[in-house]
Amino acid sequence: MSSAGSGAAPGLAATPGTAIVRLKVEQASYAHLATDRSAPTFTLGPVSFEAQGQELVAILGPNASGKSTLLTLLAGLHKPLSGRIEVDGNEVSQLELRARAQRIALVQQESELLFPLRVWEYVLQGRYPYQRRLRFESDEDCLFAGNALAQVGADLLRDRWMDQLSGGEKQRVILARALAQQPSLLLLDEPTQHLDIGGKVELLRRLRRLADGHRYAVMVVTHELDLASEFCDRVVLLHKGRCLRVGTPAEVYERALLEEVFEAPLEVEMRPNGRPRVILQGS
Amino acid sequence: MKRAGWDNAIRITIILALFSSAAQASVDREPARKNNAQSPMTSRDRIVTDDVGRQVKMPAEVSRIVTLAPNLTEIVYALGLADKLAGDTNECDSPPAAKLKPHVGEPQNPSLEAIVALHPDLVLATTSINRVETADALERLGIAVYTSDGEAQTVLGILDSIARMADLMLAKTKGADLVAQMRRRLDELHTRLEDRPMVHVLFVVWLDPLTTIGQNTFIADALRWAGAESVVLSKQNWPQISIEEVVRLQPDYIVFAGTHQESGATELADLRARPVWRDLDAVQMGHVVNLSEEGIRPSPGLVDAIEQLAREVHPEVFTARNQDPIPTALQAREEAMLCVR
Amino acid sequence: MRPLTARRLALICAALGAMLFVAVVISLRMGAYPISIPEIVMTLLNRVIGRRNEIPPDFWNVVYEIRLPRIALGILVGASLSTAGAGFQALLRNPLADPYVLGVSSGAALGAIISLAIAPQTAGMIQFAAFAGAGGTIAAVYFLGRRGGHVDTATLLLAGIVAVSFLSAVIMFLMTTLPGHEFRGMAFWLMGDLASPPPISSHWLYLLLVIGVGSIYTTSADLNLILTGEQEARHLGVNVNRVKIVVYVAASLLTGLAVSVSGAIGYVGLLVPHLMRMMFGSDYRLLIPTSALGGAILIVLADLLARTVVAPTELPVGAMTALVGAPVFIYLMRRRVR
Repeated sequence: MSSAGSGAAPGLAATPGTAIVRLKVEQASYAHLATDRSAPTFTLGPVSFEAQGQELVAILGPNASGKSTLLTLLAGLHKPLSGRIEVDGNEVSQLELRARAQRIALVQQESELLFPLRVWEYVLQGRYPYQRRLRFESDEDCLFAGNALAQVGADLLRDRWMDQLSGGEKQRVILARALAQQPSLLLLDEPTQHLDIGGKVELLRRLRRLADGHRYAVMVVTHELDLASEFCDRVVLLHKGRCLRVGTPAEVYERALLEEVFEAPLEVEMRPNGRPRVILQGS
Repeated sequence: MKRAGWDNAIRITIILALFSSAAQASVDREPARKNNAQSPMTSRDRIVTDDVGRQVKMPAEVSRIVTLAPNLTEIVYALGLADKLAGDTNECDSPPAAKLKPHVGEPQNPSLEAIVALHPDLVLATTSINRVETADALERLGIAVYTSDGEAQTVLGILDSIARMADLMLAKTKGADLVAQMRRRLDELHTRLEDRPMVHVLFVVWLDPLTTIGQNTFIADALRWAGAESVVLSKQNWPQISIEEVVRLQPDYIVFAGTHQESGATELADLRARPVWRDLDAVQMGHVVNLSEEGIRPSPGLVDAIEQLAREVHPEVFTARNQDPIPTALQAREEAMLCVR
Repeated sequence: MRPLTARRLALICAALGAMLFVAVVISLRMGAYPISIPEIVMTLLNRVIGRRNEIPPDFWNVVYEIRLPRIALGILVGASLSTAGAGFQALLRNPLADPYVLGVSSGAALGAIISLAIAPQTAGMIQFAAFAGAGGTIAAVYFLGRRGGHVDTATLLLAGIVAVSFLSAVIMFLMTTLPGHEFRGMAFWLMGDLASPPPISSHWLYLLLVIGVGSIYTTSADLNLILTGEQEARHLGVNVNRVKIVVYVAASLLTGLAVSVSGAIGYVGLLVPHLMRMMFGSDYRLLIPTSALGGAILIVLADLLARTVVAPTELPVGAMTALVGAPVFIYLMRRRVR
């Protein structure tokens, strides 16, 4: 579990071929039929990229670029109109519900909890995909849940009530539940939305550590250029439903390209560690 | 390793199932009559059909009666069978002695256990107050229950009903006498009022909301016997009307039932204070009549009430000129008791 | 970390079962007719060992024809309503949901009033008509509550509210315009009344109870997840739409069953799940069985009070649950404001 806090290029399996491809997207496309006739349908794709174990990949783009649509495709909620999306070699939209949940974990903005629930109860729910009907949680399930809590540094929160947690604590617990699923692919949908800068950095560092220390792939949907650049191995750049470029931050952050996508005057500066920095132009 | 969870779930289900079968076994519908230590059916037992079509197996002797409605209690007393009345409801207040009998609860929901504890030979019910579920339950317990039709539409129909009940309770002669006496009084009244014009009245069941009686009720018929006609013509039994309608109809008299005779003055005073009401002709002239609540039940007391009403709305007929004074209600009742004995 | 185990579930259910047994015993003992515990035991035993003829007819009547049927009905109704309440609270994601919020009891009341108007003296008619009314409402609200082929919680709730108001208006209209009949029976029925035994054998009713509670129980793990969010549950592998349908149908049927045989008894379906949550936690795998047992205990005791507190007058059991339920509810609400 090496720390990659300094932002140095992460320890990917150095020798090619030993890296396990967790997610493979081939020419996937989708069209959203709008319910309102006057609004145009939204099309996404075709998109192609791969994510390997221990990689932290960003799906980057401004609002309405198709990030959420792509996420729903990756999570298997919709079947792509064309192309394939595979996790560990299985076509995602054809997986049965529990099988899919054993492979893909999705972290979204959480809904309101109606009834009091303890942290460990919540995290233990992540083991649902592995439980037989009408059985209760096994010791093994409890072990995995406990480990997940430890991995996010929320061990001490175990016996607290969910509604007594702070925003950051809650987010860690939600992440722990996703980890308890023992996924091959961990997806996060705009996780830094309500966090301050300190929180954002802390989260990305954690995700980096998790990616480095485990064999799953982590994908983060975001529009935060700096965070993606600093922490991610690769970036998938989306714009108005089209995938413009896939590659390392250095490869993707080209000034002209970014200005067109984000519609803002920018400058891109390469730093010594190989990660680009984006600078806003005020006037 | 976690078969334990499933096994225990099965165990729980079995326990629940056993529990439910024990409970449901206890609810088997065995006719209780098999275990009834009362006299087995003899040739002297009768099967009587009551007013709602139920076949009632009547015991040979009727020595313990339970009544489930005030008017039925009154009938039992009027037939001189008071000492056979084993119990009544807590709303049975007429005659006053009825209040001292053992109570079985309210007419709508009497306590079955209390009834069973009294060991009645016969339970009397009426469709006007009692529920069919009560009668069903009593039948299932092997207790003879006779339901009379409380939705009688005529006064004479009530007389018939009383006669039938008297038969039932093996008091045929007393019943015939009572009914004949009631009939006589009604006929006398009829003769006196023969050529008098009908007085228009509003019969008020309830002030708020303003509720009156429909054409098909026995009360409407009773009014006619008293020489009065309800101003409201309705097919519903208890129609609600608006005060505007009353203003339009301007009845000659307003009749209340349900207050005791002593507080009759208060009703008039109340109306004199109410807006709109106080401007009605009837109220201005003080033509407000109060009948006692017991009077408008389908029972012998109804005839008293009819006479009282007739006296109030046709006073001119009752001043003693060249006729013998008509006996008062009290005298009439005393006479009735003497006849019956 | 102390997750729910089968052993804990069994222990808690056994404890509640014992409490129910005690409630039944007390309820058997009390009543207008004087009968002692030894006499009751004798009556029960003699029947079991086949010596029926040795039981005095009064004892037979009191125990087997009056008290036990009421107790059995009370258990049925209490268990049905509480389980249905717990189910609806999860389905509608609303802690204030009770079994009647989707209109089942209003539909049953309409069926009852129509049967009273048409055939007031036919035994058992009112219960069948009530169940038919309940069934019709369940179907109608279900179809109104769908959106895009799925059961949408918010739409379902709206459809239920509309159904309740509409049906209430129709009932009000009928009660004031139908000629001739007095709907005295309705008053009792609307308040909740255990004195009228159901027209069909209890075997069937208990079977329906077991099926209903069992069905909801099979979805209890799913419900735990759905309560943290529908999307989240879906991502964890729960077939959310199927679970919603199962819970909707089962909970509605349980409610329809209870209301058809005893009228609309209030507060039980709302309060018992909350009470059980306070005592045993929110895990539905424990909540469903404990709600069923807790509801049974509550109704048996409420009915006992209703029968004895102002004897010989018998209060409707719904009045009792309201009298006790309202203050308890207020207390619970205040506790939640932490």
